[in-house]
Amino acid sequence: MNEWLTPIMWIGGIGAFCGGALALAAYYLSVPEDPRIEQVTNELPGANCGGCGFAGCADYAKALVENKTSPDRCPVASSAAVQAIGALLGKAVVASGRKVALVLCGGCNTEAIRHFSYNGITDCAAAAAIAGGDKACSFGCLGYGSCLRVCPVNCITMVDGVAKIDSSACIGCGKCVAACPRNLIQLVPEEAKIHVLCSSRDKGSVVRKVCGVGCIGCRICVKLSDGAISMDGFLAKVDYTKPPLTNEELVEKCPGKCIRKVG
Amino acid sequence: MEYVLLIIGAVLVNNFVLNRFLGICPFLGVSKQMSTAIGMSGAVIFVMGMAAAVTWCIQDWLLAPLNLEYLQTTAFILLIAAFVQLVDIVMKRFLPALHGALGIFLPLITTNCAVLGVAVMNVQNESSLGISVLFSVAAAVGFAFALIIFAGLREKIERANPPRAFRGVAIALVTAGLLSLSFMGFSGLVK
Amino acid sequence: MKRLYAPFNFRGGVSPTYHKETTCNSPLRELPLPPLLTISMSQHLGAPAKPLVSPDDTVVGGQMIAAAAGMISAAIHAPTSGRVVSIGDAATPLGRPAPAMVIEPDGNHTWQSPLPPITNWREVAPRTLAERVGAAGIVGMGGAGFPTHVKLSPPADKPIDTLIINGAECEPYLSGDNRILLEHSAAVWEGAAIIAHILKATNIYVAIEDNKPDAVRAMEQAIPADLANASLCVLKTSFPQGSEKHQIFSVTGRTVPAGGLPMDVGCVVENVATTYAIRDAVINGQPLVTRSITVSGDAVAAPANLIAHIGTPFSYLVEACGGVSGTLTKVVSGGTMMGFAQASLDVTMTKTSSGLLLLSPSQVKQFTSQACISCGRCLNACPMRLMPAELSQYIESEDIANAEASFVMDCFECGSCAFVCPAHRPLVQHMRRAKAIIMAQRRAAGPRPG
Repeated sequence: MNEWLTPIMWIGGIGAFCGGALALAAYYLSVPEDPRIEQVTNELPGANCGGCGFAGCADYAKALVENKTSPDRCPVASSAAVQAIGALLGKAVVASGRKVALVLCGGCNTEAIRHFSYNGITDCAAAAAIAGGDKACSFGCLGYGSCLRVCPVNCITMVDGVAKIDSSACIGCGKCVAACPRNLIQLVPEEAKIHVLCSSRDKGSVVRKVCGVGCIGCRICVKLSDGAISMDGFLAKVDYTKPPLTNEELVEKCPGKCIRKVG
Repeated sequence: MEYVLLIIGAVLVNNFVLNRFLGICPFLGVSKQMSTAIGMSGAVIFVMGMAAAVTWCIQDWLLAPLNLEYLQTTAFILLIAAFVQLVDIVMKRFLPALHGALGIFLPLITTNCAVLGVAVMNVQNESSLGISVLFSVAAAVGFAFALIIFAGLREKIERANPPRAFRGVAIALVTAGLLSLSFMGFSGLVK
Repeated sequence: MKRLYAPFNFRGGVSPTYHKETTCNSPLRELPLPPLLTISMSQHLGAPAKPLVSPDDTVVGGQMIAAAAGMISAAIHAPTSGRVVSIGDAATPLGRPAPAMVIEPDGNHTWQSPLPPITNWREVAPRTLAERVGAAGIVGMGGAGFPTHVKLSPPADKPIDTLIINGAECEPYLSGDNRILLEHSAAVWEGAAIIAHILKATNIYVAIEDNKPDAVRAMEQAIPADLANASLCVLKTSFPQGSEKHQIFSVTGRTVPAGGLPMDVGCVVENVATTYAIRDAVINGQPLVTRSITVSGDAVAAPANLIAHIGTPFSYLVEACGGVSGTLTKVVSGGTMMGFAQASLDVTMTKTSSGLLLLSPSQVKQFTSQACISCGRCLNACPMRLMPAELSQYIESEDIANAEASFVMDCFECGSCAFVCPAHRPLVQHMRRAKAIIMAQRRAAGPRPG
């Protein structure tokens, strides 16, 4: 035996022995697992945001393969990825366009009145529990940032007492929608740029008293919008299933100054 | 008495993490939550005990008789890595409950330096098989001890509000340093 | 033994400044009807009551205007005759808006109670009497508003041997219960005898804190001769002595298990005002439409104890007490420890409104909360032996699961921890938030098995 052949032989031998043992073990003792789970996981974006309602992408993939949910639950995946997953699972899917979250309130501190001084924890649900919240409008954004803290991509900022969402960074996971105690946040199509930034169902006279940028229910926008805006009680609402609004006149004509162009 | 001193020495005085600075990666990696730290501790104790036995056999029956001691490190790495994988497969099949608790930690220890370190140390000390395993388990208990203490501290720190520059790993490293300093206080307890 | 001193005292608690002297000698005064009554449908714990009348209907006094919606709920009656103006959401003293009925009194005060008086209650079955209490819409008037008929119908496997009438009134400023004890001593004892009859309880205690010696004396003298095992228990003055779990410990030495109810240790605790209302419902056949309320604080001209109708606006109460004097910075419904801050005086009183406090700037501290310094004062103060410091930090870092594991649900929001906190941390608000989140999670998960 020479000096270099011996170690090569022995280490190789040990390696071959271990490898053989592992191969045998893997073959005879393996636990079957559906290979599609890994394929689906690879197609998913891997953001692990939980927007689908499952604990991360791998969990969602498992549920998909076990046929417990549908592939369009992921708010982040591109339509191509959703189609690919559908193909893997042998299901037809209709991909919907990208949606982003939008705060339907424009009542910043200079426009909307706060009727008492709140001195407590910075959480909207906690603030709303005290005499209905310090914002005089009982539908307005409280500005204590409950949405901001749940956002997985940090795209929400608090601007002058109202939450603002950066639509270019938003992944549309919908966590902020669930976090808002006043249900002000809605997922809207990315293409839509003109919105009614008010959620107040109060009468115009009440809205006027508490906020400078609230919907007063005047119906001017309904006439100008060809049916894309309709009245829900005293509140104008944009129908996002219709093609996006482009009429800039809406923004100029709104006497409540609550119709605005965003982004 | 000798055994008691050996255990105290391995757990407190020459603690693997805080005194010898072996196995730092799992120490920092899985110490964010108490529950994962406990799972990791269990896996390390198990693997270190078994690895000591396997490496002792290879050393005494194969490498020493053939005068191949210089291949020690290479052979040990190979053997430990394969052994951990094997344990993972076997456990998944026959002990699914235990695999659920320790399974995800097993691959993480494949190349843990603490496991290799304890094997090499056993060879240096020329210990018998029994003493080797006892020392390894004691060393692993020391690792578990440090990891669990550190996880408890980190859970507290997670809830605190340190200055921005210190958040996350920075404050964790400072804490680890302080913990190590405090363990230095045990030196001299056992020769 | 007719008078005994509480053999035990609970651990923890605090001693706030009580300010009772402003109203404790002011006799209960009946307040006339306001021009409009706004009667909330959610005056109790549990589901809001279902309205039985519609706008523009006329009602007579005593008529049931809303029925209990389910087991844990209570009926509501018209305080006077008049016209229903509207039914819609209105602010409540507890903070969240709830459906409410606006009634415009017609001034005739036509009264027609649907409940016949039961004078021979000793011969009437306990179940019938408990149903009467439910029909009269009586809820716990100490503040929690738990429907009383539920408390008076314990399951058969939980026999009740001890009844405690809670006259502790441990909240600062409030003295309505004190006045009832002084002015209607015999009636309270009679109410206690009725409740004991319903529950088949053998021991009756009226528990009063030792800072109300005249109430103790009056009640002691009024103990009816024919009431066996009735005694007066003098409690140490300490907050929250009025909490039922703590009062049970102070009086009997029994500890209600975590998450349990007083009936688990064979006790029922009823507030003095509730006891008085129960007697009225049984003997006079009167539903609950009025209650005692203390209007106090240093920003009201003439603090007083009033008997006012449910649905009376707070502003009307303040006017009846001479209006606001000086600068008003904070309005609290209830006591200063557990009461709720109000945004306006347009809110109306409910069955659980025991007090209305108007405070001047000197009584209201404005502070900014700081980080916990781990001093442990809240641990000493917490009467439930929780760890408010630890809990609040869990909650701040959104670790609600850990807070639940550390028994945040046992917190009954007495405010002792926040009262002693040197860093002015809003501890109770944290607990409330966590409790609301956990309750929502439990509701979403559906009814718990078992």
